[in-house]
Amino acid sequence: MRNLLPASHYGGTLGAAATALYVLFIGLPVLALLIKAAQQDSFIASLSSPTAFQALRLSLLTSIISIIIVIAVGTPFARLLARSQSRLLRVIDHLVELPIILPPVVAGVALLMALGRQGILGAPLSDLGITLPFTTAAVIFAQIFVAAPFYIRATKLGFQSVPREYEEISQTLGLSPWATFRRLTLPLAAPSILTGIALAWARAISEFGATIMFAGNLTGKTQTMPLAIMSALETGLDTAVALAVLLLIGALLVLTALGLITRRARTAGL
Amino acid sequence: MTINQPQQFDNGPACGWAQYRIGRFSLETEWEALPGQVLVIFGPSGAGKTTLLRAIAGLLRPAAGRIEIGGQVVFDAAAKVWLPPHQRRVGFLTQQYHLFPHLTVAGNIAYGLADRKSPAGQSRVRALLHTFQLEGLENRRIGQISAGQQQRAALARALAPDPAVLLLDEPFTSLDTQLRRALRAELRAALTRANIPAIMVSHDIEEAISIGDQVQVIANGKTQAVGNPLAILGQPGQGQVARLVGVENLLPLRIVSRHPIDGTMLCAGSDGLQLEVPLGGLEQPGDTVTIGLRASDIILSHQEPTGSSARNRLPGVVASIELRPPGYEVALNCGRAVLKCHITGASLTEMGIAPGSSLWAVFKASSCFLVQDQST
Repeated sequence: MRNLLPASHYGGTLGAAATALYVLFIGLPVLALLIKAAQQDSFIASLSSPTAFQALRLSLLTSIISIIIVIAVGTPFARLLARSQSRLLRVIDHLVELPIILPPVVAGVALLMALGRQGILGAPLSDLGITLPFTTAAVIFAQIFVAAPFYIRATKLGFQSVPREYEEISQTLGLSPWATFRRLTLPLAAPSILTGIALAWARAISEFGATIMFAGNLTGKTQTMPLAIMSALETGLDTAVALAVLLLIGALLVLTALGLITRRARTAGL
Repeated sequence: MTINQPQQFDNGPACGWAQYRIGRFSLETEWEALPGQVLVIFGPSGAGKTTLLRAIAGLLRPAAGRIEIGGQVVFDAAAKVWLPPHQRRVGFLTQQYHLFPHLTVAGNIAYGLADRKSPAGQSRVRALLHTFQLEGLENRRIGQISAGQQQRAALARALAPDPAVLLLDEPFTSLDTQLRRALRAELRAALTRANIPAIMVSHDIEEAISIGDQVQVIANGKTQAVGNPLAILGQPGQGQVARLVGVENLLPLRIVSRHPIDGTMLCAGSDGLQLEVPLGGLEQPGDTVTIGLRASDIILSHQEPTGSSARNRLPGVVASIELRPPGYEVALNCGRAVLKCHITGASLTEMGIAPGSSLWAVFKASSCFLVQDQST
């Protein structure tokens, strides 16, 4: 144990105390949640209640659709950001990260102002018979809004980590720019892209503030797991705890996946 | 035209001319490399050597010019012809190899083959692995092979898709001397086999002389000299080239008399320094000339050597001694002129040379060469 302490004993003690405090601070609530779930005799039953099941199904469906859209649009966008020197794109590059800093509730209000029934784009859409707010589509909009920056940022860094010389060599070897992207850039940037997917998906599935503002809390339609947890707390703890544990397990799985990606990338020398 | 039909092309020369910007100035140059031969582009850093290779490969577009590879015009500014790099059939070997880290050795070599998954493609990869002594390493990652093996893998990868010209950007710089020699020989053999020309950028005289069939010196925005590497870099006749290759002694002298029978002329400096040098063609007694002399061509001696065939013997005093790996550079004051001489550490110790030592500098008339300075 002594060997673990750094040379400066004073700093070591302080560091150890801070570490212990922090681990306790994060660990205790997590542990409490797990203990509470273990004490339940109806964990599975709580999950299979119609409300919980619908929330789980909706969360998976919307987050997967969101991620697919984020990947489809975000990848070419990140590619452009990674290589461009243009001033306008530098500004856009900076603004991309706005939703990371913005409170999600503000994102929800902003989405309402744009796409709500009286919104700038929402009003004409409403005249055409298309309404977005308080639909499942609105859930997806909210998730994309908050999650996309995580994917775009990670993917952009991944593309930037591929030296331009590699792409040039690939082209002199007879591969078109598209073939070069597919066979060289994409595999080399893959660890960063996978990290981006994991982070964005985690953010999408935990989305709460923007969703409740823009999509509401309608069971089976817009009530995703975080919203269902809040609603369940009003009637009883069991369902809330069961859903919370499920999200916790999902988060741990994402964390493990991220660790594996980083380790594999390092051993492959990427 | 795509790389799927490489047989359509003859392995003709790689030639052309191009004009492009290098920083603030513009370079215009013309080149021709013949199949099986190596053209060395020699020049100081920043002269635009690498840029020329990139222009030939299609990685940048010259302002003007015409570029031909393997009998095909790949760029013609006047006729608005432009082929992108992947349609040009060039093999490009860089200083850092740039082998792809996500692929194995075999994966790298197969990378440019359109038919890499077919039996024909696979046997091509096997043949290249054999030629470049990489058998047994095919499934290794790039980080798991040595620098020399990386160099050979990069060469194999560049040659795999049957390029019509090989472009080499200082490919031996990061290797040790022994490895360089071995790889040079392999490169030679590969070029002959494929019967394609190679254009190599270098700033290393030894490299240029030992591997080049032709050398082209570029500096100050234009070609300064083209020809046999030994003739141009060993005894660089042009002022600009002499300075570029670092001829240590450049002596301004006046011609005293011509001796056509000996093939020499007698030159003198303003301080009584007298040298016998090879006979020039047009220079007449009274003309001023610049004489070049490599520091390694001078022999130092304690006594005035008698009975020696060397025509030039100059007494002098050692002004300074500097470490100049692998040996030492001795600056010898001969009157007002300072001669720089290269000797080994062993000679320095054995002869007990120190600043202030009186020595004789001895060198053959034929070691001296006339430098045609364009500025005079």
